Amino acid sequence: MVVKVENLVKRYGDIVAADHLSFSVEEGEVFGLLGPNGSGKTTAINCILSLLKYDSGTIEIFGRPARPDDYDIKRDIGIVMQNVAVYKELTVYENIDYFCGLYIHGKNERKRLVEEAIEFTGLADFRRFYPRKLSGGLLRRLNIACGIAHKPKLVIMDEPTVAIDPQSRNKILEGILELNRQGATIIYTTHYMEEVEQICSRIMIMDRGRAIAIGTKEELKQMISLGEKITVETFGITHSQADALRALPNIVSVECKDRMLVIKSSKGRNNLEAVLECMKTHNIQYGRIYSELPTLNDVFLEITGKDLRDQGV
Amino acid sequence: MFVHIFKYRLKCLLRDRANIFWTMMFPVILATFFYMALSNLGSSEAFKPINLAVVDNEHFRQDLQFKNVLEQVSSGDDRLFNLFIVPEERAKEMLEDNSVEGYIKADTSIDPPIALFVKKSGLNQSIVKSFIDDYLQTQSAVKAILSENPGKYAEILRDLSERKNYLKQVSGTKANPDNLPFFFYTLIAMSCFYGGFFGNREITDIQADISPLAARINAAPVHKMKTFLYSASAALLIHLAELFVLLIYLLLVLKVDFGPKTGYVFLTTMSGSVAGLSFGAFVSAVVKKSEGIKIGILVGTTMFCSFLSGMMNQNMKYIISQNVPVLSWINPVNLLTDAFYCLYYYDTYRRYYLNMAALLFFIVLFCSCTFILIRRRRYASL
Repeated sequence: MVVKVENLVKRYGDIVAADHLSFSVEEGEVFGLLGPNGSGKTTAINCILSLLKYDSGTIEIFGRPARPDDYDIKRDIGIVMQNVAVYKELTVYENIDYFCGLYIHGKNERKRLVEEAIEFTGLADFRRFYPRKLSGGLLRRLNIACGIAHKPKLVIMDEPTVAIDPQSRNKILEGILELNRQGATIIYTTHYMEEVEQICSRIMIMDRGRAIAIGTKEELKQMISLGEKITVETFGITHSQADALRALPNIVSVECKDRMLVIKSSKGRNNLEAVLECMKTHNIQYGRIYSELPTLNDVFLEITGKDLRDQGV
Repeated sequence: MFVHIFKYRLKCLLRDRANIFWTMMFPVILATFFYMALSNLGSSEAFKPINLAVVDNEHFRQDLQFKNVLEQVSSGDDRLFNLFIVPEERAKEMLEDNSVEGYIKADTSIDPPIALFVKKSGLNQSIVKSFIDDYLQTQSAVKAILSENPGKYAEILRDLSERKNYLKQVSGTKANPDNLPFFFYTLIAMSCFYGGFFGNREITDIQADISPLAARINAAPVHKMKTFLYSASAALLIHLAELFVLLIYLLLVLKVDFGPKTGYVFLTTMSGSVAGLSFGAFVSAVVKKSEGIKIGILVGTTMFCSFLSGMMNQNMKYIISQNVPVLSWINPVNLLTDAFYCLYYYDTYRRYYLNMAALLFFIVLFCSCTFILIRRRRYASL
């Protein structure tokens, strides 16, 4: 067990930022904390890092209680903050070297690790650049390089892809998977469900300081009744045609909005085939048609009644 | 670890152009302006020869003694008068168009036999009047003595040429009695307390609830106080170097006279640097506001303390010490200024040591409070 959090409670006045939060992270995992802004992800991270006082609960890292002065534990943790945390007066190389030097004492070893971090994050061409000369994506990469250069066993990343372009985001996500392949356990917080689906082996969905669901993405999707969502572009549908669709087996809802017909089915097979057959039979005109499996947003929606996407950004 | 943190801190601080400007360039520029504005204070008080006209008439031409005396005091670099021997009409014209401060007319038929004509009364007119009175008084005394003792002519001549002054001007110190250095002392004291910018930054960069950078530092396996002390050492070194540059500039370029105890001036400046840095750290630790507000408070406090120490008006220092003496003792900028003042004007060290002891008290106070405020390792909120 790399991280174990039990009954963590953290209050800011009347607001409960962490409400009896319990979870554990196994070695080698990419563990995702998914939730809208204000759901308590960063609070949980800051408590794990011993930066924040909490009201009750226990936190263990590498099997030992997390304490601010346990430097042996801290030495094995890498941290990538939500906000870029680098010195604007130091170059890319100097920033990485400085933060790496807080963990690694040997000069030669440090030099090697810094070079590896630069290579890993694709900053080789920018090593002499000052942060103000870097684009948002490169700055985020520098932020990551500063956090992982010392090759920590546990990397905690707090929304490292906020406000960057898709290309840089993909590069960062690939890098995280590579880090994981190299042996690092990763805790990754985000409010982008696509990211956790892409890289996380296990996910905890948070809302209002509570863990509302935890498991692999498949396990999470199994928790809800929705099995498939079929979206059809129509040119008008009558009540009787809609009723005919509703009468199909496994179909739980049929809604038409802005000429888009959304048909949700519970678990079951060949729903799309049956829907197409029904539309032909009842002369329902249609254009594009596509089918989706449930997303984590659907999981969040079904459990909380709220849309993760609406609150995420 | 010390070398690593110290080295990178030096780089960071030296590349912070705004900080370097305010802590080094600004005092140097201000010193230059002070010099340009205040160096004329002394020269404006220097004596300039008085333009004086003498009516060229028969009486003047015959009064050889008076003529000789006038010529003597009107020659050389330190002459008293710029003399114009002109006809009476011309003398009147010169007085009218302010070419001369007055004109003298010798006429033995009137009393007094040497008359001064002026258009207005002032210092220069008083000097001329005093000169004439002195001459007439001496002439009268000599005449009286010679009428009774004609044989003492040679002795009188010798005494007149060897006039003795029985008053001696003695300086209270070995330094020149000059007010100019005082303004530069307040400037040095202000520069010392501009070290507060460094102290402020050191605290900002170590408090996880203030900046993400500090949160990253706090998450690293280095004791927070160690990081602070190592970084503060670099800041202190830079600030001391900046103050050294300022002192050298004042001494060698502007030729400001620091009196005979220049070594102590350097030592006092070093203490001031520590005081300034600890003051900035203290303000930053106490004020839980944004960086801009902290800087504003630092600058405002330093300038106000400098004002009370007499930077803008020298009399302010005396007004405070006369009416609210306690304010003099709780104003660290004033303690520093007063320490410099003592070094310059006094030969003894008693008051200097008192100032330095009070300053040391403030350093200890600022450091202790800062330590208590930043020692916590976990924060209530980030």
